[in-house]
Amino acid sequence: MGKIIGIDLGTTNSCVAVLDDRGTPKVLSDSTGERTTPSIAAWTPEGVLVGHAARRQAVTNPQHTIFGTKRLIGRKVNADEVSWFARSVPFRIVAAPNGDAWVRVRNEIRSPQEVSSHIMARMRRIAETSLGEPVTQAVVTVPAYFDDAQRQATRDSGSIAGLDVVRILNEPTAAALAYGAHRVKEGRRVIGVFDLGGGTFDVSIMSVEDGIFEVFATNGDTALGGDDWDRRVIEKLADEIFDEHRVDVCGIPVALGRLKEAAEKAKRDLTHQNETIIRLPYLAPTEAGSDQVHIERTITRDEFGDATADLIDRLRIPCERALKDAALAPGEIEEVLLVGGMSRSPAVQQMVEQIFETKPSKGANPDEIVACGAAAQGGILAGELDDAALLDVAAHSIGIRVGDSAFSTIIPRNSMLPARTRKLFATTMDNQKFVQIDIYQGEESDIRANRKLGEIRLEELPSGKKGEVKIELSITANVESILEVRARELKTGKETRVRLAPSGGLSPEEIQHIIERRRREENTDDGAQGSD
Amino acid sequence: MAAAPIRIKLRCKSWAQLKAIYERDLSRSAVFLKASTPPPLGTKVTIDLTLPSGSLIVLNGSVTDHVGAGGLQGRGPGVDIGLGTVPQSAMWLIETALRSAKDKPGPGPHSAGPTQASMEDGAEVINAEDDLIAALKQEFESARRLNPFQVLNCEYNATDPQVRAAFGELTRKYHPDRFARFQSQEARQYASEIFILIRDAYRKLGTETARQQTLQVLQNKPTPTRGTRKAAEAKPSATPARSLGDVRGGPAAAPAFTPRAPSKRAADAEGSQPIDLGGSPGSGGGLAAAEALLAAGEYDNAMRAYQLAARKDPGDRNAKAGIELVEGLRALTVRDRLEAAQRFEAVLELDPNNERAARELAEMRRIATNERKGLLGRLLGKKE
Repeated sequence: MGKIIGIDLGTTNSCVAVLDDRGTPKVLSDSTGERTTPSIAAWTPEGVLVGHAARRQAVTNPQHTIFGTKRLIGRKVNADEVSWFARSVPFRIVAAPNGDAWVRVRNEIRSPQEVSSHIMARMRRIAETSLGEPVTQAVVTVPAYFDDAQRQATRDSGSIAGLDVVRILNEPTAAALAYGAHRVKEGRRVIGVFDLGGGTFDVSIMSVEDGIFEVFATNGDTALGGDDWDRRVIEKLADEIFDEHRVDVCGIPVALGRLKEAAEKAKRDLTHQNETIIRLPYLAPTEAGSDQVHIERTITRDEFGDATADLIDRLRIPCERALKDAALAPGEIEEVLLVGGMSRSPAVQQMVEQIFETKPSKGANPDEIVACGAAAQGGILAGELDDAALLDVAAHSIGIRVGDSAFSTIIPRNSMLPARTRKLFATTMDNQKFVQIDIYQGEESDIRANRKLGEIRLEELPSGKKGEVKIELSITANVESILEVRARELKTGKETRVRLAPSGGLSPEEIQHIIERRRREENTDDGAQGSD
Repeated sequence: MAAAPIRIKLRCKSWAQLKAIYERDLSRSAVFLKASTPPPLGTKVTIDLTLPSGSLIVLNGSVTDHVGAGGLQGRGPGVDIGLGTVPQSAMWLIETALRSAKDKPGPGPHSAGPTQASMEDGAEVINAEDDLIAALKQEFESARRLNPFQVLNCEYNATDPQVRAAFGELTRKYHPDRFARFQSQEARQYASEIFILIRDAYRKLGTETARQQTLQVLQNKPTPTRGTRKAAEAKPSATPARSLGDVRGGPAAAPAFTPRAPSKRAADAEGSQPIDLGGSPGSGGGLAAAEALLAAGEYDNAMRAYQLAARKDPGDRNAKAGIELVEGLRALTVRDRLEAAQRFEAVLELDPNNERAARELAEMRRIATNERKGLLGRLLGKKE
């Protein structure tokens, strides 16, 4: 049987790994020896560029160089996070007919799924080149806090890349799996995984014992990541430039692209030095157009810290909620595993130590560990890793609408998956003909603030006084949180079943259309880029 | 016409073989299969096409043509299966994989002569899969009648680490991920159902507080044990205790019983004086003695004790259950599993709360499932 590869499809960088013959995850590097690939795809007159090549030409082609699609995938264009993101990127984010956030590239609108599929195809190609055989199956990771639309959209990206996505895996869980897989004999350990990536933040509390990985609780913020730290620097400098020169650099794609790159570099510098200089000569023409704006500015770690203090504060609440849900005190966490590039920041690490009252461990490579975990899960699914099993939880509560708009939880968040809950309901009217139950996902007591997943209808109920006809509702969430709902009238045994297949926003026809377009683009895309 | 479709498992061993199937067959929306006795035209056929990489593509079609010997460019005799629309994403999966196989050095598409696919392909896998499904189904039916302690196969006085270890062991066997590589939807479904019972039991036993509550619930059931034995006997043999489990499902509604720590019973038996079999009157005392003997592994003596009790009170269902239990255990010692399973089932008919029979039966079901799972795993082959 072929290998199931593990792909960490990150906001800024992606990574692919596979289990070697001894069952150890191994990161695969591209032809130039790079172990991670920037999650960037660029449309050029010569074709689509992916990864490092796309990044290198970003400054000269900012409007058609798409990055950060993970922040858009499976989301509506009017979501707050999307609006914030759209303000600081040099490419156009537009509304798809169904309201989803898409991008405009070379006068065509494209879904984030399609953009991501190019990165996914690249990861596949790296694996095929290293392994010397075709690869068709992958485990792909997503933030634990992704909802079902975001998960399905990620899965669809895989299909477009010609990959059979056999599992969508939560990133913090993947990290723990990679971390714990070779520590089987060390007894039981309760660990925290603190995963702060480019665009998302997840925290998970779990135990590792004898190959069994049991997640107790997961929490997070799908709209908080390293990019936000960059953006603070961008906004600060843009404001200063505006005050001094009356030039809005955010409106000039090329300038914004350069500013972004400089901000990213400054952030990285400040993790290991106390100050750094941002130099951006000829950034933009001045208001009069006669001269150029040149930037040379020193940023100190303290200044950077002040500008991002509120972001650091936002890390606290998800951690505390996860601890509370796991019914553990901070001191009971024996080790905190750091994942994601942004977890390298000293300020972040300090916060972690404060919350969990333990020094975070820096042993693992935060950029690679998630892909390694995905590869390990691939090994479990393929039957290669016999001793390990991963018990993940539902990241969001599942419930139904009662009355007008109240939310009644059926499967609480952080329930071990798979899970099933049954509940008994009675009719509310005499001779009620049918019953319709609306199913929602979320944590708010008002269902209007939660996401509707679907509904189930049971018709032709037997006649009877109100309260006499009883309906049993059973909701089963499988290991990937996909729901199967059954409603059964108890007297007659009449029932209906619905599988709530999540939609990632693309119809099968649209996916088909993109695949056909990719067939045409094939020669210019992955093929031409073997030498990146 | 409503007959189930013929199932065929086509496992491509090499990319060259897949290429041949793709070029000669899939591109014309059909599959040719060798067949010595071709099924009638119109017969529905489901083909599970497994790529060398392990991806599965399900093709549905029906027999459209009988090809005579030498027909279809010398490929006959056999049948041609006309396929409905093959999902485009599946074709795309094959195409991209073949393209990357073509680019690779090493055994090219023409080096390995593709073997002809035939009507009988994958028959042994299908049989093994059916066996596994049957075993899982039996195990599920048996496990849903167990209480949480029995489901996890741990004792009533188990500690946290013991419960966790028991749960871990079962998780390694039944977690849905363990069945992911078996393509049968049904097998995966049953495994998932069994695992839901396991995780529910773990939730009820995972902590000391939860265990105490669970024990309390189990003890407070209106139980037809000891004091109320006569009342239980008065009922018709199809006691409602079990059907309740079917209606409500879940271990909470499993048959009631009085928890007794099996280990303690064994200890009692070892430390006790020689038991006077004919002595104490009343079936209760006799049964207790028989149970102690059973726990100590003295089957012959236990059998005599149960028989004695049954003779004294021919209506004593528990004594009869005891006899069946001993027979079952004896059958197990000579590895007659079928006989043992039937005996244990009989015990549970007579005495739904019989701890030993429930546990023995559950263990046998687990073994049966695991053997079949192992067999199917070997047939599929972990690696090429």
